[in-house]
Amino acid sequence: MAENTLVVRRESTGVPALRATGMRKQFGGIEVLHGVDLELRPGEVHALLGENGAGKSTIINMLSGRLSPDAGRLELNGERIEFKNPLSARRAGISMIAQELEVVPTMSIVENIFLGAEPSWYGLIQWGDARRKVTSVLKELGVNAEPGRIVGSMSVADQQLVEIAKAIVGDFHVLIMDEPTSALNLQDTERLFKIVRRLKADGVAILYVSHRLWEVFDLADRVTVLRDGNLVASSLIAETDITTVIRAMLGNKSSLIANAERPRKSAADTKEKTPTLSLDSVDSGTLLRNISLSVHDGEIVGLAGVLGSGRAELCEAIYGLRPIDRGTLSLNGAPTNLNEPKASLANGVFLLPEDRKSEGVFGHLDVRENVVLGYNPATDPAAVKIASTTTNRSSWRLAGAAPIPAPAERRAFDAMRAALGIKCSGPSSNISHLSGGNQQKALFARGALSHPNVMVLSEPTRGVDIGAKEEIYSAIDSFAARGVAVIVASSEISELLRLASRIYVLRSGRIAAEVETTSTTEEQVLKLMAG
Amino acid sequence: MLKKLLSSESAASIIALVGVVIVFTLINNRFLTRLNIEGIIVSASISAIVGLGMTLIIAMRALDLSVGSIMGFSAISGALLLSHDVPLAFVVAVALAVGGALGFINSQLINLLRLPSFVATLATLSMILGGELLITDGATVTIRNSMYSKLVIGRLFGVVPWAAVIAAVVFAIVWIVFHWTPFGRHIAAIGGDLRAAAGAGINVKAVTMGVFTLAGVLAALAGLMVAGMLQNADSTVGVGAELTAIAVVVVGGTSLMGGRGNLIGTVCAAFLLASVKAGLNIANVSSKYEGLVFGGILIIALMADGLRRGARRKGMLVV
Repeated sequence: MAENTLVVRRESTGVPALRATGMRKQFGGIEVLHGVDLELRPGEVHALLGENGAGKSTIINMLSGRLSPDAGRLELNGERIEFKNPLSARRAGISMIAQELEVVPTMSIVENIFLGAEPSWYGLIQWGDARRKVTSVLKELGVNAEPGRIVGSMSVADQQLVEIAKAIVGDFHVLIMDEPTSALNLQDTERLFKIVRRLKADGVAILYVSHRLWEVFDLADRVTVLRDGNLVASSLIAETDITTVIRAMLGNKSSLIANAERPRKSAADTKEKTPTLSLDSVDSGTLLRNISLSVHDGEIVGLAGVLGSGRAELCEAIYGLRPIDRGTLSLNGAPTNLNEPKASLANGVFLLPEDRKSEGVFGHLDVRENVVLGYNPATDPAAVKIASTTTNRSSWRLAGAAPIPAPAERRAFDAMRAALGIKCSGPSSNISHLSGGNQQKALFARGALSHPNVMVLSEPTRGVDIGAKEEIYSAIDSFAARGVAVIVASSEISELLRLASRIYVLRSGRIAAEVETTSTTEEQVLKLMAG
Repeated sequence: MLKKLLSSESAASIIALVGVVIVFTLINNRFLTRLNIEGIIVSASISAIVGLGMTLIIAMRALDLSVGSIMGFSAISGALLLSHDVPLAFVVAVALAVGGALGFINSQLINLLRLPSFVATLATLSMILGGELLITDGATVTIRNSMYSKLVIGRLFGVVPWAAVIAAVVFAIVWIVFHWTPFGRHIAAIGGDLRAAAGAGINVKAVTMGVFTLAGVLAALAGLMVAGMLQNADSTVGVGAELTAIAVVVVGGTSLMGGRGNLIGTVCAAFLLASVKAGLNIANVSSKYEGLVFGGILIIALMADGLRRGARRKGMLVV
């Protein structure tokens, strides 16, 4: 399929502003970028597309001095160049709008914009000069704030605009934009596009990375598609269309997924029953609006959406990490207030956090300790029978005051290790030494020990290798088979199609569509996500 | 002007200062005598100088526990040099350089050994104090240079104590450095978000070196002033001054979370604490209660800081 979409690159006219040839990069012995070429020309918007893990971030980080390539050649206006750090790339005229916010929240807009490049005269910063420049840029971006406003007091969208202002103040002739619209609303996006078109007319070479395909077709002159670290297509926008581009992004994976037939609950089975968990017109924070969804016992539903669509935020809102400002969350039909994780756990709701390292695993503890953390045999129906011989003490244990006997912990851990196939040299091996997949299984085990009724899994296979992925999928299936209601949020659509019976597609903080996985394809979901 | 002042972050400490002066004057009208006011000004000037250095350190989200011992070390160095008839200007220069060198050592422990500033300066605090005892053998060094002590407690034009003039000059320099130079703004950026600061190409190690060296110089200056005031120096000079300095910074409205520094607040808080101390003395409250009162003021200041930060983060995810 890829062969059909590969368009031969046209011979370029004139010298490209930035040319990268044969870019390669390894991480931990695995090559993630296999010799990619890219040319950015003055006055042209070049879109870079690809699924998560296709190598987009790797190559733009090399173009902007954040990563150094293992092999490959960079040419700036026809001359060979190497960047030591982001600053040297910036000095060479390559500006970048990073996907993650890189602003100092305690400082003002003007201080942030000129940070590291303050206009100074005999060592003193020329604030008047700086303010004037910032005022005009803010006006163009439609930010209604004084240059002296403290950035931390602004909305995330406005902070994103400050990040953009930082990139377009000063001299540059190459601009790299990594998902610049992920936190912006329609109006701000339109304004940004106007600026991009103005910069293009001024002769700036622009590399535009986005998940929003319609945006790309609106804005770009040329498109390059990466898949699994290879360049699979590059052509003028005028000579291609969205379907061709999506096919190039997916390759022949989409046909594989359609075959993954397996018995699963269909919506028809559950329509009559009371949902285990449901949201009714829920608003949360500045992003999530009017979210309604439901999940039943033994059902797996998926949450799809690009970065910034509210996918991760919705998981946190369900678990009580974000306040629900409007609407209701019901468990088994009864409105419930899960305003903190403790309440969620007590009500049988468990969250597998998206960022395993910082939010889930305790790196200094061993595997057993990580699994049995929070485990209380007194509340475990499987262990209560054994513990009933010492009833006089179990009331202590309910309050969490009595020491947990080591044998109970050991039994609980051994059962989980066998059930989930956690590979480790022993219960006392340090969890940091385990592979990503096994760490994730340990977190699953911790969740299973709390006997949840609802499991919210945010990116359950991020950073997990393919073999372990399948094992995690079957673990999720077995939870559902035991009657747990499961919500899986993932940026990998194939994963959702494999696991879920229904998928809710999120876009800009709202549910844009609800689809049955038996009657949809990866392409369709991707189109819905892109809006 | 008044309105702007009241809405500023220094407002709390200014109001508290005015309130304290009024209350103590009502309790005992001897509070507003010239002698008492001068005493307050001299002692506040000295703690303001140390506090201004500490404000920069805390703005960078670091701590320097060694400033008190640097005060003692420079005071002793200065006194010893004076007793060997070294010219005064030279003595001052050497003592300040010694303070700067000790601050530089702090920064290198932090940069090269990657120690948290709290730990690194706790170690140097102990070592510098040990050095003082070795040099003096626990004895007190008397200062017989009359000009030296006049430079601290004497008056400019017969009105303003020299200590206040020195503090004002230091304030002006630190203000310009912090608000008008790239170095100063980089201090705040590092304290506000280390990753973003490094991403903007800021040389974090160089800034760390500059800040700790500057704090060392300022502590040495304060140490010289204490010695001038007492007309002698021993290892008790500056003991506990690091805690006073941190208290002055926090009461002045600078958050321990870093990213911002309130220099005016620091100066006001230095005057506030000096006034409270003098006021308690005049109101015949035993000095045994001083610690309790100061601790209470610190708790109130920290609560106010917590409230301010809470308001700023309202609506954001708090885990």
